[in-house]
Amino acid sequence: MIAVSPRSLVTGLMAGVGMALLSGVADAGSTPENLTFLEKPITPEQIALGNDVYAEFCASCHGANLEGQKNWKRRLDTGRMPAPPHDASGHTWRHSDQELFAITKFGVGAVVPGYESDMPAFEDVLSDEEIIAVLGYIKSVWSDEERAFQHNLNPKDGRAK
Amino acid sequence: MKRNTIVAGPVSRRALLHGLVAGAGFCLLPATAFAAASKSTSSAIAFYGNALIVARGSALLYRDGGQNWTALSEMSAGTILTLATHLERPDRIIGGLDAGGVVLSVDGGKSWNVRGQGLPEAAVTAITTAATTPDTIYAAIRGDGLWQSDDVGQSWTFVMDRPWLMDAERDLTALSSVDLATGMGGIWLYAGTDTGVTRVPDCFCRWQDVQAGDAMDALASGKPAPSKAPLPEGEPVNALVSAASQPATLYAALPSGIWHSQDAGVIWLKRSEVIATALAVHPLRADDLAIVNDDGVLQSPDGGRTWTAIANI
Repeated sequence: MIAVSPRSLVTGLMAGVGMALLSGVADAGSTPENLTFLEKPITPEQIALGNDVYAEFCASCHGANLEGQKNWKRRLDTGRMPAPPHDASGHTWRHSDQELFAITKFGVGAVVPGYESDMPAFEDVLSDEEIIAVLGYIKSVWSDEERAFQHNLNPKDGRAK
Repeated sequence: MKRNTIVAGPVSRRALLHGLVAGAGFCLLPATAFAAASKSTSSAIAFYGNALIVARGSALLYRDGGQNWTALSEMSAGTILTLATHLERPDRIIGGLDAGGVVLSVDGGKSWNVRGQGLPEAAVTAITTAATTPDTIYAAIRGDGLWQSDDVGQSWTFVMDRPWLMDAERDLTALSSVDLATGMGGIWLYAGTDTGVTRVPDCFCRWQDVQAGDAMDALASGKPAPSKAPLPEGEPVNALVSAASQPATLYAALPSGIWHSQDAGVIWLKRSEVIATALAVHPLRADDLAIVNDDGVLQSPDGGRTWTAIANI
């Protein structure tokens, strides 16, 4: 298990790893060519692990097919927003790898201080490998266009954007 | 400081009317056009190149680049609550209506086409054109939320619920597309509410407060975020604009006065105690402001420090 602190999140995991181009075409059930997370390749085994983790910890809110909660753009009576889709109709692909990792591990408040969300921090629930796997799985479902867009959001020099 | 001590070179009603008649030859005058407008009447203002267009109640007023005023025909579709223009679309003025829907003019406000079919039948309280994609329009609908059109108002998509501030959803009183990168591949939309300023990325992931610095940087460094000087807590925002020529330059009209920020809303300083119900900034000159208030239309050449009355409405 990798213990990733906030500091090492943005300084350690990305160090020394070359940036791969995201030009692959994903067949159903396969891993898109050159799929990466935090600049490290995502393997088919990680995708499989991520699929399992997603089904157990994420699908109940974000949907079995990553479709999100119904009317996810409309606020709940609590004032909080429903769980958004992780597919192309949502905005997950508009966040960098670092932000996605931080949101999953530490909660939305890690990137938007003070923001109240029904999504818990998974710091004490999932290992860093499991968080990377589930985010790799989500990225594997995106189209080439969304992966390329999201790829360009990732810092190129190892620093937080 | 009282308002009349801030206004530089106040223009009397007589002098204003004399100048307008002498200089232009247009048939109607601002004072006549807006005579029926009450002190609480809604108002909107926008630069249209070097020209200005002003809506107050059901009345519309246009000032061309040569300082000549024209009172435009009242609109049958409803009262304009909010106006938007874009430098790259110099022939276009967009208005949001109290009765719902938007209107589009391509002739300086002389004629208007009703758009906005598909929008809820509720007041459009704020409208803005996207700073980097001028055919995209955002409209805030009272009691509903934020809608987006990518075809100049013909068709609309709901994109975001209203912000949740101080334990309630808040209608937007102002909206401004701010050409500053979000880090999410887009730019920001800033909004005014009856309890302050908020903002949302144009990917519409979540309404959020303006942050000092970047949260990921703070997370990585472990250092506290830089200091902020926000607007007075809980004070309503009557108007909010970003200077297109200097996007980090924001102006906000609050009951306490005109406020100015040079850093996209992290640090705000009060520029004057002039109260405005509508506010516009010139598309090329970030210090050139125009406002509407109970005294009429005022203009400032210096970022809101001094004001001159340009129309007594």
